[in-house]
Amino acid sequence: MDCCNNKVSDLTLIKETLDHYKSIPGSLIAILQKAQDIYGYLPIDVIYHIAEETGVAPANVMGVATFYTQFRLKPVGKYLIMLCQGTACHVNGSGLIEQAITDELGIEDGETTEDGLFTLKNVACLGCCSLSPVMMINGETYGSLTPDSTKTVLRQLAEKAGEAS
Amino acid sequence: MKIVIGEGSCGLAAGAGKVHSRLDVLFSESNPANAEVTITGCNGMCFLEPIVDIYDDGGELHRFVHIKEKDAEVIHDAVCSNDLSKLDSLRISDEDASFLSQQTRIALRNCGNINPMSIDEYIATGGYVALEKILKGMSQDDVIDEIDKSGLKGRGGAGFSTAFKWRAAKAADDAEKYLICNADEGDPGAFMDRAIIEGDPHALVEGMLIGAYAIGASEAIIYVRAEYPLAIKRLENAIKEATEREYLGKNIFGSNFSCSMRIKAGAGAFVCGEETALIESLEGKRGMPRLKPPFPAQSGFWFKPSNINNVETYANVPWIIANGGNAFAAMGTDDSKGTKVFALTGKIKRGGLVEIPMGKTLREVIYDIGGGIRGDKEFKAVQLGGPSGGCVPASLLDTKIDYKTLGQTGAIMGSGGMVVMDKTTCMVGMARFFLDFTAKESCGKCVHCRIGTKRMLEVLDRIVKGEGKDGDIEMLEDLCIAVKDGALCGLGQTAPNPVLTTIRYFREEMEAHIAEKRCPAGECVDLITYSIDKDKCIGCSLCARKCPTEAITGEIKSPFEIDVDKCTKCGNCRTVCKYEAILVK
Amino acid sequence: MAIKYTIDGIEVIAEQGETILSSATRAGVEIPTLCFSDKTAIYGACGVCVVEAEGVPKLLRACSAIPQDGYVVRTDTERVLRARKTAFELLLSDHTGDCRGPCKLKCPAGTDCQKYVNEIKDGKYYDAVATIYDVFPLPASIGRVCPHPCEDACRRELVEEPISIAFLKAFAADKVLASDNKYKITTGADSGKRVAIIGGGPAGLTAAVKLREYGHAVTIFDQQPKMGGMLRYGIPQYRLPKEILDAEIAIIEEAGVVMKNNVKLGKDIQFNEIVKTYDAVLVAIGAWTSVPMSVPGEDLDGVLGGIYFLEKLGHGERPVVGEKVAVCGGGNTAMDACRTAVRLGAKEVYVVYRRTRNEMPAADIEIEEAEEEGVIFKFLTNPIEIYGENGKVTGMKLQKMELGEPDESGRRSPVAIPGATEDIKVDNVFMAIGQVANCEGVEGVELTRKGTILCDEMTFRTNIPNVFAAGDVTNWGAGIAIEAIEEAIKAAFCINNFLEGDEVRYKATYFVEREVTPEEFEDREKQHREKMPGPTPEERIKSFMPVYDGFTEEQARAEASRCLECGCHDYYDCKLIKYANWFDVEPARFGGSKRERPLLEIADVIEHNADKCVLCGLCYRTCEQVEGKTFIGLYNRGFETVINPMFPRIEAAAYCATCGKCVDVCPTGAMRKKF
Repeated sequence: MDCCNNKVSDLTLIKETLDHYKSIPGSLIAILQKAQDIYGYLPIDVIYHIAEETGVAPANVMGVATFYTQFRLKPVGKYLIMLCQGTACHVNGSGLIEQAITDELGIEDGETTEDGLFTLKNVACLGCCSLSPVMMINGETYGSLTPDSTKTVLRQLAEKAGEAS
Repeated sequence: MKIVIGEGSCGLAAGAGKVHSRLDVLFSESNPANAEVTITGCNGMCFLEPIVDIYDDGGELHRFVHIKEKDAEVIHDAVCSNDLSKLDSLRISDEDASFLSQQTRIALRNCGNINPMSIDEYIATGGYVALEKILKGMSQDDVIDEIDKSGLKGRGGAGFSTAFKWRAAKAADDAEKYLICNADEGDPGAFMDRAIIEGDPHALVEGMLIGAYAIGASEAIIYVRAEYPLAIKRLENAIKEATEREYLGKNIFGSNFSCSMRIKAGAGAFVCGEETALIESLEGKRGMPRLKPPFPAQSGFWFKPSNINNVETYANVPWIIANGGNAFAAMGTDDSKGTKVFALTGKIKRGGLVEIPMGKTLREVIYDIGGGIRGDKEFKAVQLGGPSGGCVPASLLDTKIDYKTLGQTGAIMGSGGMVVMDKTTCMVGMARFFLDFTAKESCGKCVHCRIGTKRMLEVLDRIVKGEGKDGDIEMLEDLCIAVKDGALCGLGQTAPNPVLTTIRYFREEMEAHIAEKRCPAGECVDLITYSIDKDKCIGCSLCARKCPTEAITGEIKSPFEIDVDKCTKCGNCRTVCKYEAILVK
Repeated sequence: MAIKYTIDGIEVIAEQGETILSSATRAGVEIPTLCFSDKTAIYGACGVCVVEAEGVPKLLRACSAIPQDGYVVRTDTERVLRARKTAFELLLSDHTGDCRGPCKLKCPAGTDCQKYVNEIKDGKYYDAVATIYDVFPLPASIGRVCPHPCEDACRRELVEEPISIAFLKAFAADKVLASDNKYKITTGADSGKRVAIIGGGPAGLTAAVKLREYGHAVTIFDQQPKMGGMLRYGIPQYRLPKEILDAEIAIIEEAGVVMKNNVKLGKDIQFNEIVKTYDAVLVAIGAWTSVPMSVPGEDLDGVLGGIYFLEKLGHGERPVVGEKVAVCGGGNTAMDACRTAVRLGAKEVYVVYRRTRNEMPAADIEIEEAEEEGVIFKFLTNPIEIYGENGKVTGMKLQKMELGEPDESGRRSPVAIPGATEDIKVDNVFMAIGQVANCEGVEGVELTRKGTILCDEMTFRTNIPNVFAAGDVTNWGAGIAIEAIEEAIKAAFCINNFLEGDEVRYKATYFVEREVTPEEFEDREKQHREKMPGPTPEERIKSFMPVYDGFTEEQARAEASRCLECGCHDYYDCKLIKYANWFDVEPARFGGSKRERPLLEIADVIEHNADKCVLCGLCYRTCEQVEGKTFIGLYNRGFETVINPMFPRIEAAAYCATCGKCVDVCPTGAMRKKF
């Protein structure tokens, strides 16, 4: 399992969510979504806690958490690069953009840079087809990318993070 | 005057939000004309985003396009001085405006015209009249008959008769029934459902209420992609507004019909577009399809009778009830009634959402509405139906758009993705792209899809890398037929379509990859080399400066050269060259 | 209201709501399925139960499809077979394991070595012998003489040394032979058919037993005074005591095989006569003619084919040999001849071989033991002349050789060094450079250019419809005993099919195999191979006493306990392999990658091997739906889906009833109980 670290999470943060959904059957996905909002990812102790509180067997919680692409079992970098994998982006060269990101950061889909700054995630169509190829970083959309402009964006973000720290 | 900013997701991505904020600031500082700044959903003209519509005091619409944050000042000035001619340089061209004027908008009737956050604006366009009409004078069967008359088919992909499904769900003998909306739009190239929810959420709410009444459901659920946060926000608002106005809740319009509505966000799984997988997901489980039969109409959500349609289907319903099934059926062809929305993207001049009556040809959509291929290049193919569809070649451009005729090409209508390709798009790469998608999205339950799509992808991977073998095409065909026949759900059963159409229409291109290790489109990285056309290169050195590996050298004002050993085929040079001097072979 | 429909032409009555699978099974029509169980909800994952119904465009999953009145269902259409076959091929393309251990797979006859080795470990010697007899008779004999390809394949070699499989076989067989409860062959019900076998060697005897098991009457004709063929007349007493062979032949005779010795084909009986009289004939006359060296002096007194020399011993003679003896050749016959010569009193025995020791085809142990017994190896020498006085051999001229480039077979061929020769003085020369068949008297049967019988590799049929051939006499010529036995088993299968009017062809069983690396065995504790006790070389050469005493019981069981049990524990119950062979799969055509899959130890009670998992889901569904627990579940999706337990930190007891049902329902060997 690629999920294990020994961090201890603050389980009180999820209490309200669990109370809210307790009486609504079939709410596991919604609870996991909230949990991910709260913790940034799904820590193993949180998953275990959710299983206990909802009565859904841990094997099933894990099954759901690993089925949907939205859920992450590992923390992500400061910047989450969501690279659109839509058809229009493909036709307009998203493959080259992915290559550029990999060249620049040395990470592939699903990986995080060693400095914890960037995580690359290929995502389903973002629906900005007229701006393709597109990536979205922490909610900001970057469209009509070229390999070069992509690298520029990444360098600017890295610089910004460097100044901040 | 009213200033309306197009704030669909794509408009926002293009910068509409910044324009809006700036305008807000400016008009809060000074607003002598008492102009109102508001928003609307996506009008479908994605290629012109961000778009600002200004309604003058006479109510006339003036449309301005490609608005940047800095343009806010001019807009403010023009509005304050009541002189819109100051904005003429930003005004939409007649040619671009024809993108909309050639369409017939039913499902998209309000998108881009009303404020999606305002129920009053929806009501002002005749909203909730259809709901009132059925609750005050139509039986459940009357409603279904009206839908039957309209000939409406499911707009999500399979194209199954809506009335048939409703009738089956109505016939199911159970007090507890569910009406579900599939807003898990997954085709990576279609975004009309998102546009409808973002632009006209009440149309969906009303359409669903009519459906719920028809089948006898008292609970309605909308399953929305989690990647559509804006759509969820607008839909939540619409449900809240409709509940406040008592269009939702108990005894609606004083009738015996009560219905509640809620939203469930998906979590990223294309297979949840399959109705039984969607139900599993709604129940909080892994989205793995169930065996059919039983069909959801007999045993669906929590094993209760359930009806599932997609957003566009429901969005048509209020119009059909208000205008009559016959009015809808009057549009389109014998086989396919009404209109269909397409997401026109790819190498097209005017990309966006296009709603047309069924029966128009692909050529009309691509050339007349879409304006043809970007850069006036040669049209090669159009991909229809996404991962379940196929690529239709130039020779079939005059194919009529209806379920049956499109089906005969090997592609499908699907949810309306229409991705246009020119000669630089490799069709083998395209098939690989879709197989990569379906293989990743396969839920893993049935053998044919779980392993079959993986094996197909591996063969295509080999081919695009120049490692294809004699017999690969035949093996792919074999595998395609077996997967179509053996897969459990629609995802697997249609996954071979992109491969089959590529073999059918672009076999030579595939063979070139296998036999000659050549990519005729110049796209497959392992099969191409970059060079510089000495006749076209003017020696500007831009490419050399952009080359990450210093593979390009030369002297200013004389042709440059690429060292193929150093070249990583990143494509930077080709992108930056203004003289088309970079050759890819 | 009951539903009436037909499936493959058979009328079936289904209850209202009953599926095709259930009603067809009741009617005796087998429909394969991996994911269906009547104890859990219908799942529909495996897709191998598909059937076709007339007028229904899609294939139906029989596990869920409800038949309608008048349905015409077929399970044998091309479309159904292709869909099922592809499903199995896809599954197998992502299935890694060893259906059977490499020992069994590399045994030409396919003996289940792992099974009998483990039976020996458990002290169940009779069962072990029965396991061997399932494949072929003569275990005590073959256990002594077989060059054991099984041991060459044994993965224990990656730890230290391979298991002593052949000697274990002999051990168990000896034990049972010496007991009161001797092995008895179970014969089939009398078929009324008669089969003649010509030649009573390992091939003939094996075929005789197999055919008796099928229920046919069998008569063996052999030209020698006793049965056993090369085992008796080619293998010296010190390697295979003839009392053992006699005892094993007696078991075969007890099974009702009629044995006619001293019958020479063409003289005592005519081949045509046999062909006419018997329903089928198997020619298994072996390869008894020594290949001449074609050098001057071959006709001198004292020069003899190695095999003829050994044959004399087999007849009880003690041929006189001189002080110096040369044996030409590097195979096992050469070793038998040189070591026999030592035992007959020769003082200096040479083995003349034109390549080096590395290239010698003889078993290593034979070479070692010959060396221990004082045999002198003259490598890289080739006889070019034998000379003598008064018609009697006195010496040989040897051409010195060197190794040249490797030939097609990979062996480096010897090349003469011009002018370099050597003379040795010898009193006898035994030529053991090969044996060929002599088909005199086998009238009308088409031969190959080599003089062997031309027969089809998959049917063992000759040009005469009811005549089959097996063993050293067929196409490719002489090999080792166990290869002759392999052919005999297959030929007997084909003969039986022929007699029953079925398609004759022999079909190889498909097995899943995997590659291993030494790293996989790094953690194994070393336990060296048991040393076989026996007399010293000095004692050995004084007589023809056996060179081995055989394992003690303690040794045998210790040796057997070294087995790594490579073959799948679930082979006999595995539905996947059963179906794979039913549908003649060719998974290799898809190739491709396989899932990454660690072996999961599930809370010390269950072991899950995702390599073998077909994701039918029965384990987790049974856990949930039958047992009301949820110990295991699916993890990841698509091709990466695996069965996973919940995390180690959770008490197993809360979620697992250790009922073992998940293991019981697994259609393959992916789940294993550890309790």
